[in-house]
Amino acid sequence: MSDAAMNAVTTSQSVGWIRYRIGQFTLEARWEVEPGQILTLFGPSGAGKTTLLRAIAGLLQPREGHIEVGGQVVYDGEQGIFVPPHRRRVGLLTQGYHLFPHLTVAGNIGYGLINWEPQARRHRVDELMELFQLAELAERRPHQISGGQQQRAALARALAPQPALMLLDEPFNSLDIELRRSLRSELRTRLREAGAPAIMVTHDIEEAISMADTVQVINNGVVEAAGAPLEVLGQPGHGRVARLVGVENLLGLTVRSVHPQDGTMVCADADGALQLEVPLSDVAGGSRVTVGIRASDIILADTEPRGSSARNRLPGMVSEIELRPPGYQVTLACGAVDLKCHITGTSLNEMGIATGDSLWAVFKASSCFLVTDDE
Amino acid sequence: MGFSLKGLFIGNRPLGATTRLPVGTIATVLYVAFICLPILALLVKVLQQDNALASLVDDQVIMALRLSLFTSAVSMVVVVMVGTPFALHLARSESMVMRVVDQIVELPIILPPVVAGVAMLLAFGRQGILGPPLSQLGISLPFTTTAVIFAQIFVAAPFFVRSAKLGFMAVPREYEAISQTLGLSPWRTFLKLTLPLAAPSLLTGVALAWARALSEFGATIMFAGNLTGKTQTMPLAIMTAMETSLESAIALSVILLALALLALGALGLIGRSRWREST
Repeated sequence: MSDAAMNAVTTSQSVGWIRYRIGQFTLEARWEVEPGQILTLFGPSGAGKTTLLRAIAGLLQPREGHIEVGGQVVYDGEQGIFVPPHRRRVGLLTQGYHLFPHLTVAGNIGYGLINWEPQARRHRVDELMELFQLAELAERRPHQISGGQQQRAALARALAPQPALMLLDEPFNSLDIELRRSLRSELRTRLREAGAPAIMVTHDIEEAISMADTVQVINNGVVEAAGAPLEVLGQPGHGRVARLVGVENLLGLTVRSVHPQDGTMVCADADGALQLEVPLSDVAGGSRVTVGIRASDIILADTEPRGSSARNRLPGMVSEIELRPPGYQVTLACGAVDLKCHITGTSLNEMGIATGDSLWAVFKASSCFLVTDDE
Repeated sequence: MGFSLKGLFIGNRPLGATTRLPVGTIATVLYVAFICLPILALLVKVLQQDNALASLVDDQVIMALRLSLFTSAVSMVVVVMVGTPFALHLARSESMVMRVVDQIVELPIILPPVVAGVAMLLAFGRQGILGPPLSQLGISLPFTTTAVIFAQIFVAAPFFVRSAKLGFMAVPREYEAISQTLGLSPWRTFLKLTLPLAAPSLLTGVALAWARALSEFGATIMFAGNLTGKTQTMPLAIMTAMETSLESAIALSVILLALALLALGALGLIGRSRWREST
């Protein structure tokens, strides 16, 4: 079934850089997407992600830059090239999908095929409706189908004219959390099948990790970090990025001793009550460091786990339990430090965790990562 | 896990009172009676007349009716052709100048039509600002059928432009952006997307403007005069008939009433065909 979409696009890469200024805000970005790959732009709202997508689509004109879509130069500030949106071969999937209300699902999908032969056009629409499981909904109006179906129809519509680059602006934002998870892998598969490279904007870390081949963290119009999703978002090495990504535990500690043979070093808080083993880094003993630990990397145990390979075992008292769909966030007071841990509702119930309980927090040295401070 | 809000609603109706005033019923009866009584009186009177049909086929009536339909049709063509791109421009522009222009659009609605007629004489009349250049071209506007059309356009156009502007404003820019990324030029996007989506508002505007053009009296009599077969439209014919025979005036009034009801019916049909929002 993927043959249909395979023939959709033959592309070379899409690259570019822009500088765009509006009022006090300046956006500076540089990107590169290979065919079949997904680049995710991650960052808080107002960071300039959507602005970047609009500039690539030609819906606004940057001040300076150079944009190529599928190997074709569509904008160049110096050479005065500006190709209007309808000749750029980009597909845009917006937050609200924006299916045209006066057309049926089939009418929406065929909308961009205005210059095609009627027969080729019908064939392409049928093919896409088959592929996206929309065949039975062909004659429905957009308001008569579900949110997930709307997303599929909007994606089919965007892919129909065989774009050289797909732009996805928070494509899951208007869906509930259950649907998001199931549609994520579906969307990824369909983009892969279509072979269209894509740039996706999101402020959801799960989405960024599960969808992307590469990630750029954008904040305040500036790219703060770029690379493989787990590297950039899982263990961010930069204080500002760590905070943006929402690393739950950031501890200010001092290096006590280094153990090159184990590839670790021991860090402690001011009064030495808390001691952690963290991966070795080229900082001198005695220097101050910030250590990050993801809440989901911490295991809770009701007795001190002996015979475990995990290097860090900290006793503490439960000070707070908070619902954090899909699970719970338990705050463990370990001396002067609060550790946040994510566990499932089942674990919470089985262990019968309540505030005031004494528990152990357990995590590997490799779950800890050093975060450089900003200034 | 999870709870639903369904228990709070019975069917689709939310609980809780809507705001109603105790005098609402009385006000409704008064209002409806005030509007309907004169119209009923007109209908009753025309039915009591034996020679009602005879007055309808009167030459002068036929001429007035034909002139009214012709001039209002021409007015509507001009209003739609110029008003549509103008309304789109108004809806899409954010400049200060266009905000001022937006206010100017409403001016003829507030201006007394008689004043509009005098003003048009001063602009397009023989002694008016554009009088000399026009007469050099051999054109004299006042007291011609063209003057009737001018007067109708002046008073009726704002109704169309206002409605069309609101219609265009209601089309989300996001739709147009997507249409363009799908390969349709701005011009094609307008024809395939913006226009069909705004069509109900445009048709509402045409119905309102047409009804206004048809009933135009003050500006017409000042600028175009009251010449049978040339500038005497239905409302002018009614006034003229009142001086000689009440019967003819009533018959003419009923025809005009029927045309107005036609416009009202069209409005109702358009109202039902509006596109539903997708989100």
